[in-house]
Amino acid sequence: MLHLKLSGSAGECVDDGASQLKKFQKELSAGTVSLVLLAVLGQSRQPLYGYQIAKRLEEAGEGVLAGKQSALYPVLRNLEGAGLLASEVEPSVSGPPRRYYRITKFGREVLREWTAAWNASRDSVDKVLQGEL
Amino acid sequence: MNASSHPPRTIAEYLEQLRAALRAADPALIQDALYDAEEHLRAELYERPGRDEAAMLEHVVESYGAPDEVAEIYRDQEIKIQRAIRPPPAPKRRSAAGRFFGVIADPRAWGALFYLLFGLVTGIAYFTWVVAGLSMSAGFSVLIIGLPFIVLFFGSVRGLALLEGRLVETMLGVRMPRRPPYPQRHMSLFQRIGAMFTDPRSWSSMLYGLLQLPLGIFYFTLIVTWLAVSLSFIAAPIVKLVAMYEPVVGIRCDSGPDWLCDVLNWMGGWGGAAVLCVLGLLLFFTLLHVARGLGHLHGQLAKHLLVRRA
Repeated sequence: MLHLKLSGSAGECVDDGASQLKKFQKELSAGTVSLVLLAVLGQSRQPLYGYQIAKRLEEAGEGVLAGKQSALYPVLRNLEGAGLLASEVEPSVSGPPRRYYRITKFGREVLREWTAAWNASRDSVDKVLQGEL
Repeated sequence: MNASSHPPRTIAEYLEQLRAALRAADPALIQDALYDAEEHLRAELYERPGRDEAAMLEHVVESYGAPDEVAEIYRDQEIKIQRAIRPPPAPKRRSAAGRFFGVIADPRAWGALFYLLFGLVTGIAYFTWVVAGLSMSAGFSVLIIGLPFIVLFFGSVRGLALLEGRLVETMLGVRMPRRPPYPQRHMSLFQRIGAMFTDPRSWSSMLYGLLQLPLGIFYFTLIVTWLAVSLSFIAAPIVKLVAMYEPVVGIRCDSGPDWLCDVLNWMGGWGGAAVLCVLGLLLFFTLLHVARGLGHLHGQLAKHLLVRRA
């Protein structure tokens, strides 16, 4: 084991670290993307379509959505399937047809619970990281 | 991997590469993924009118993902969704009896049973719609309203195909598209009408609508008969209990062999009632198996006729 590590070049080591980071980011965003999407739609006054949501998250920074924006669409559909979002297609005269999503009443209740759960787990993770145990 | 040998320069090229990257996946998943991608790409193109398609796609590969990456994301997601949304598969039972009777706990068997019963209603509706639509299209085609009518009718068939797909997925557990095929916007009106006629899916969806009626009649007859027979057999002891109060008149043997009378007389007794009840239960469980099997076959038929093959 030790021998292998020593013989590996420094570049490989960095690469390994980067891939670990990427994996961790992927897992993090997989866990939070539903919450984030629900929150974006919960705060919006009017229904949003997929592309708009993607652009809003882009403004929020890399952290929210570590992966590619294509991951949003299946999640939106799942949330709709679970009754947290509702959607309708609006054909526009000039542009392409768009599917607008809005949050449902049930979605708002769920968002409140998820937010509480997120705050609780964020606080406890922070505590552990700051060594306040 | 080979799909991304050169970066896509047009939306059509991007979608073709995505389709190629998803080749081995379920056709219903492909339809959903293509719809999402096309919606995103067209929105991107529309929001930034200044840029040309190739430059936009270069940017999109960074943000939305290259076709290979998108395919990977959708395949991953699909596995997760299957786990989360679908009813868990019934626990595998080892013994033959467990396998036979375990079907009663399988939501898919019950879903299929109701779908097949309901198939007569949807069958009548689809059949009427397709036959009326086709004949009215033919009749109107000599008039000025002919073309708009045909376009509307073909559009309605697409909508019905999506709706039926949702029904099939919920009740039969066969993966069907959650999004329609993306409407062809970039073509001229006449090209779009031409595409509608040459799209084999339009015709196969109509064929499905027509087939649904004879199949619905078959399913309905089969299941109602089977249910009636098995439930009345199961109810034999109850009938016997009620009939106890009446003077039991044995069957008189006017003609025919004696053993037949004996059997019939015995069937009228408690022993006969118990045997009938067990037989009815066995028949009922067999019906659940048959419904699940027929439901699976019907789901495959729906997938072949309503979803475009990759």
